[in-house]
Amino acid sequence: MREERGGGGRGGGRGGDKKEGKGGDAPRRGFFRRRRVCKFCAEKIDYVNYKDVRLLAPFLPERGKIQPRRISGTCALHQRKLQVAIKRARQLALIPYVTD
Amino acid sequence: MSTARQYELVYIVTPEATEQEIADLHTQIEQIVERFGGVFDKTENWGRKRFAYDIGKHREGTYVVETITGSGELMKEIDRRLRVLDQVIRHLVVRVDAELRVAQRTTDARKAFVGRRRVARGLPAERQPGEGKGDGDNDGLDDMDGVGGQR
Repeated sequence: MREERGGGGRGGGRGGDKKEGKGGDAPRRGFFRRRRVCKFCAEKIDYVNYKDVRLLAPFLPERGKIQPRRISGTCALHQRKLQVAIKRARQLALIPYVTD
Repeated sequence: MSTARQYELVYIVTPEATEQEIADLHTQIEQIVERFGGVFDKTENWGRKRFAYDIGKHREGTYVVETITGSGELMKEIDRRLRVLDQVIRHLVVRVDAELRVAQRTTDARKAFVGRRRVARGLPAERQPGEGKGDGDNDGLDDMDGVGGQR
């Protein structure tokens, strides 16, 4: 899955403006979706603290799974850090592995 | 030796443990740190917290966070010790110095970048109080999870 994503990104870069423009129009067809910004970039959080449950909570939907990047809009760098932080917090029983 | 690294140690003590037992545990760790020539940076007791899921038959526990500077062998010994103790339900050792250094570098780089840009625009490098809109922070970026779709 990760490979697929990387390939897509590269393809987009090569395709240039045309392809990107198309991608930008696409969401308008269904319902308007606001452009998502990486929360950590916007708030200038450089270190994702695994002990801060309130920071991590928005990225855990009801089931307790890690929210994918395409939904949350988190950038690749911060998603990677977030992922590690969430897994550490899970070990400490601060956040659940699964919720039924 | 230059192998001193900063670690964060979090451990969870059973809710049955008394204050005294928790204090004893802390002194025990302190002694190990001393024996290995490490430095105790700080300790933090979060008190009793409910778990997100049951661990064994426990539903809650006392969280203690310690920040320690020392060698890998020191943490190995602490890790081994905590594994043996019955009162400790769970523990986690994380090396933090590298991550914090990277984070600090990013912060500094951004500051330098913003400063350079501001100087180029003929402004003082630091943001003045009451300047521009907002605080450079974002209002309305917190509601990112799907609420924006309703517009």
